[in-house]
Amino acid sequence: MSNFLNHLPVLVIIFPLAATLLCPLLGHFSRDFSKRAVIFGLFLSMVCAFIQLIQVIKNGEPIHYFIGGWMPPIGIEFVIDGLNGLIIVLVSTISWMTSLFSSPFELLERGNELRSVGYYTILCFLAVGLLGMSSTGDAFNLYVFMEITALSGYGLIAIGEEKGPIAAFRYLMTGTIGASMYLLGVGFLYALTGTLNMADLAVRLADSHDSPLIIASIACLIIGFGIKMALFPLHGWQPAAHSYAHPAADPMIAGIMIKIPAYAMLRFFFCIFDKSSPIIETFFTAISIMAICGILYGSLKALRYDTYNKILAFSSIGQVGYIAMGFAIGNFYGLIGAVLHIVSHAFMKVGLFYTSAALKYKYDIHKISELGQVYRKMPVTSLTMVVCALSMVGLPPFAGFFSKWYLALGAIEKGQYIFVAVLIVSSLLGVIYFFRIFENMFMGEFNAIGTDNPVKGKFEVPWQLIIPMCMVIVAIVALGLFNSFIINKVLKVTVLEVFLG
Amino acid sequence: MNNFLIILENFLAESGIYVLTFILMALGIFGMIVSGNYMKKLMCMNILQVSIIFFFLTFGQKNGATLPVVLEHLLGAESYINPLPHALMLTAIVVSLGTTGVGLALLMKIKDIYGTIEEDEITGKGGSKNE
Repeated sequence: MSNFLNHLPVLVIIFPLAATLLCPLLGHFSRDFSKRAVIFGLFLSMVCAFIQLIQVIKNGEPIHYFIGGWMPPIGIEFVIDGLNGLIIVLVSTISWMTSLFSSPFELLERGNELRSVGYYTILCFLAVGLLGMSSTGDAFNLYVFMEITALSGYGLIAIGEEKGPIAAFRYLMTGTIGASMYLLGVGFLYALTGTLNMADLAVRLADSHDSPLIIASIACLIIGFGIKMALFPLHGWQPAAHSYAHPAADPMIAGIMIKIPAYAMLRFFFCIFDKSSPIIETFFTAISIMAICGILYGSLKALRYDTYNKILAFSSIGQVGYIAMGFAIGNFYGLIGAVLHIVSHAFMKVGLFYTSAALKYKYDIHKISELGQVYRKMPVTSLTMVVCALSMVGLPPFAGFFSKWYLALGAIEKGQYIFVAVLIVSSLLGVIYFFRIFENMFMGEFNAIGTDNPVKGKFEVPWQLIIPMCMVIVAIVALGLFNSFIINKVLKVTVLEVFLG
Repeated sequence: MNNFLIILENFLAESGIYVLTFILMALGIFGMIVSGNYMKKLMCMNILQVSIIFFFLTFGQKNGATLPVVLEHLLGAESYINPLPHALMLTAIVVSLGTTGVGLALLMKIKDIYGTIEEDEITGKGGSKNE
């Protein structure tokens, strides 16, 4: 048993990786086998992630896992502290939910066996990449996992709707520039210090924080992570990619694929570089300007569209801005707000994209003007949509309110009232574009929505779609109600010691 | 004039290779932005990736050192070049191969759907860029 506990950080990644490799093989015999292998692998990974987080909280100190027994700085190290333990739980839970959610969708692609098996392979590989990015303590290893994530993301976007391949190709171009910039930044750091381990980098960079190489490196890293997380001026690939991806995989792509680079950026800026140096301060100012522009641009742009996915995609640009704003504030409450927003926005966006996929599954609805009276036919879907949207707007009992609350507290503590103003304005804009959806849904004309996809069972959509949506509702309410528990038990020690220490 | 040539020579001897690498990188990014043909964009993407690989290999070099294979009469780390950048770039080359492969597959799919891989014709056919 203790042997099992010692290997938890790598088991979280090994299970989905094994499922990914087995999936095409099992697909030769039966499509169901490969599907179950992926769902089971991701479920085991989720269980391991929960046990791992409990271990970290119980021990009160980070877990260091040395791959292959090679000690750092030579070997690759996985570091799990309270913060990324929470992120790993988030990623593995959402991956498992999404793999379950995807299972009815393959019926729509009957007669295309390989495509369905391939879909599961790529989905599971995406989970591997994201889990790896959140666990690793090595800068180059992060690059490899980032490319695994990106390559599987291109695949999932390309097998989506008709415009999918174009969106995927544009994302491939932009994403490769981002990854190359990240690699260049890491190259500068390596040339300066001769190490790639993050903890070791922090030690060796301590007395050279104003070297020109550091400045070049930080600029490259901001461009790299900025492209991957769709920060405002670098978001060009994001709306098309999030709108045209495969509907079942879209929750994962839109929900967590842009959050994990944000987490990695947080780790780079607060664990490796010296936060108090004036250069970092300057870069934080740049990031905060990008964040403010992004929040306003995303919220305003979301007002313009009638396509449900486009509204959600542009709203994501704004929400990523909140996370970047949290870094730029850079004090305790700012970081807590950023991390809570990574978690709560992941659940909210995943929930909204679940509803989008459910609407596409049942009625093939793409535009919000076609939503008229749909709540009579699909109560659970509508409830999910309402809970997620109210949480996005920031109504108190839900998770979205508390992350915005902590961001505002951080901004007030630092005296940057413009952030508070932007927060309020963008929440009001959020009210407008989400209530436009509600208006169409509850008060719109019932347009006899042509052919509804016949669904067996007593629910509006298959139970595999209902369970993830209910889990999202529970998660959003629970994150809201127990936010002080999460902050005090899970995040406080790590943020104070590792990130601000 | 002579003085200038000496400075230039010193500069090129010290960091000329880095300048060339960065010119290559700029060319790659420029090409990706400017060219209208998706195949050309993909090739420029490869140029960008190769320039990053060159950059890593360049700072792995040092004067008067030999291949990182242990020789009997040469002891001590100073006689060998740093093998780590080469190992890292082996991974990066594999990643770039994978990216190119996915890119080519996407291009085949785009060609199937639209019948062309010119950006102008695709955006003309598929409606405006935003919607």
